[in-house]
Amino acid sequence: MSVTEIQLHEVTLKVWGGNIEMHVKRGGSGSPIVYLHGAGGPDWDAFLDDLTASHAVYALEHPGTGDGDLNAIYEVESLSDLVLIYEETIRALELGAAPICIGQSMGGMLAAELAATFPDLFSKLVLLAPAGLWREDLAPREWLTSPPEQMPQRLFLDPAKPEARAFFALPDDPDEALASQIGTIWALGCVGKFGWPIPEKGLCNRLHRVTTPTLVIWGDSDDIMPVGYAGDFGKAISDSRVEIVPESGHLVQVEQRQKVLDLVAEFARA
Amino acid sequence: MLSHVPYRRFDDGFEDQYPSVISTPYALADPAEISATYRDVLDNSMFAARLGFDGLAFLEHGQSSYDMSPNPSLMVSALAYATEVEGLEVALLPTGRALGKTAEPLRMIEEYGVLDAISNGRLMAGLPVGLPYDAAVNHGVPPIEIRERFEEGFGLLQRAWKEKEPFPFNGRFSQRSSVNPWPRPVQDPHPPIWMMGVGSPGTMKRVASEGWGYQLMGLLGAKVMGSRLFDMFWKIMDEAGEALNPYRLGYMQPICVADSFEEAEQLYAAHIEYFYRRGIGNVPPHLLALAGSVPPIGLRAILSNPGSSDFGVGTKMTSMHFREFVDAGCVIIGSPDQVVEEITSIAEEYRIGHLLSILAMGSMPAELVRHNIELFAAEVLPRLRDLWPESDWPNHWWPQRLGGMPAPGEDDSPASEEAR
Repeated sequence: MSVTEIQLHEVTLKVWGGNIEMHVKRGGSGSPIVYLHGAGGPDWDAFLDDLTASHAVYALEHPGTGDGDLNAIYEVESLSDLVLIYEETIRALELGAAPICIGQSMGGMLAAELAATFPDLFSKLVLLAPAGLWREDLAPREWLTSPPEQMPQRLFLDPAKPEARAFFALPDDPDEALASQIGTIWALGCVGKFGWPIPEKGLCNRLHRVTTPTLVIWGDSDDIMPVGYAGDFGKAISDSRVEIVPESGHLVQVEQRQKVLDLVAEFARA
Repeated sequence: MLSHVPYRRFDDGFEDQYPSVISTPYALADPAEISATYRDVLDNSMFAARLGFDGLAFLEHGQSSYDMSPNPSLMVSALAYATEVEGLEVALLPTGRALGKTAEPLRMIEEYGVLDAISNGRLMAGLPVGLPYDAAVNHGVPPIEIRERFEEGFGLLQRAWKEKEPFPFNGRFSQRSSVNPWPRPVQDPHPPIWMMGVGSPGTMKRVASEGWGYQLMGLLGAKVMGSRLFDMFWKIMDEAGEALNPYRLGYMQPICVADSFEEAEQLYAAHIEYFYRRGIGNVPPHLLALAGSVPPIGLRAILSNPGSSDFGVGTKMTSMHFREFVDAGCVIIGSPDQVVEEITSIAEEYRIGHLLSILAMGSMPAELVRHNIELFAAEVLPRLRDLWPESDWPNHWWPQRLGGMPAPGEDDSPASEEAR
């Protein structure tokens, strides 16, 4: 849970024939970036704060998570429906120009699915240690069944770093702390629904359709999604570049924030 | 009597070496011992039936070494035939076949039809939602879908038991162009339905509105978790305007009988420790509440009360010792007088009408299990029978062939009306 000083705006959009209300947090101004969070749920953190220096950042909240209706998840029956729901939401934002999409982990898998299904939806694609592929020799860690107390060392190379501690810190207020815990656990369930029991749902068959220029960023010591998948994404997406970030675990945008910000800035300019 | 099918030969220190009994490497298994376990469990079930036990129950646990019962219908099927041949009037309760985890609800419906036919109307239909790890890990069901799958499967079961003509079923999780199971249950209108639960208020409310019986799967210590959950159950029944009929509630309880407490300790203590430390108590608690399997309202109840007794002593069982298990009520043990007194006290305090006695625990050899069964049947069982006279409390959750009364609403007899 992080504290932001950026002015955030809450955007709500009715999609899916009016059956789902999507919640989006918006901050900053400039060319648009759409951010798709991972299984831990939405969290407007320092990475998104820093992106607002030169972009209008739209952080989409997965159905059932964040400030929206917790039961909205039951309206989403399948991954293919989820892709359409996100596409409707992104178009409903009426961003003018096609945005850059940044997706992290399960959000990265979703971003790749969106780009494969709707080639015109994004101007550029940034995948941060995305889920979605499977190799026998590189099985991703079963993070939903890992004991909660092991998550710090699973998610970070150095769980003692201030950034890592801040990531797991709960608000001082007991009610807020409880709400935060419930939110995280429920988010894992809501997002995990589309990656269970193995976060590979045929993306390998569809990746060749991704024509959007793509930057794949991976921590060199990822204990959740092995870094060996970085090359596989790079090979399958024709217009792509792979960057391995040293000294980082799975949450590369948290553990090596500045390096990732620099890579994204350079990619956005190119 | 409720039976597990446990692997009985893990070495001392197993619990320190292996993370759980639901991920035990099969390299540790001795096939001859496994075969002998099934034989012993079935033999002792028949032994209990011959001694006058009212019913035999089995649980459903996939991929687990503490209860090698991936499908309880298999054990119950063998016993349905054998007891029918011997004319033993026992009820048969597969507590499992969880509709929340199965990809084949129609298969489960067919199995229950077969079991009721083989036993000629002695089936009690256990319908659990499903343990999160069993559904999610062993069956690949996303935790957040477990309850939805249960609801859909139950809808299919209700229709399949009622309709006499083939019908199409268009579910989200299973689609069938024609549903027409042969056989349907022989019990009319259907076998008594039992929900298994661990204390979720939502499930209890469902039990109240559907007329089901409710088995509290409380292995984790009646004295620690009991009062809160039982009181909640009866409060929910009362608020729903349901009769507070003790036969509606079941409770499973490990019990060890000997001539004295001292002798019981000597006979059973090591096996009780095995049962919990290398068995049921060695299931990682976080797998029992996988993210998504507990809705936010349930999470709030659990997390806002971290010392909550609802989980009993479950989180520290692998390091507990005999006396601690006794003190927590994880086992009722002692002379027949002591055991009768303690069971009576729990049953009266919490209005428990059905007792699922667990008389075989962990590493107990077959002879010791028989000793326990024999003493229980001779010295304990007869003194518990009249706790809740059926003239006052008609048992609607028992097969009619064995003396059960038709469910309320399906019978207009005065006793039934009075009870309500």
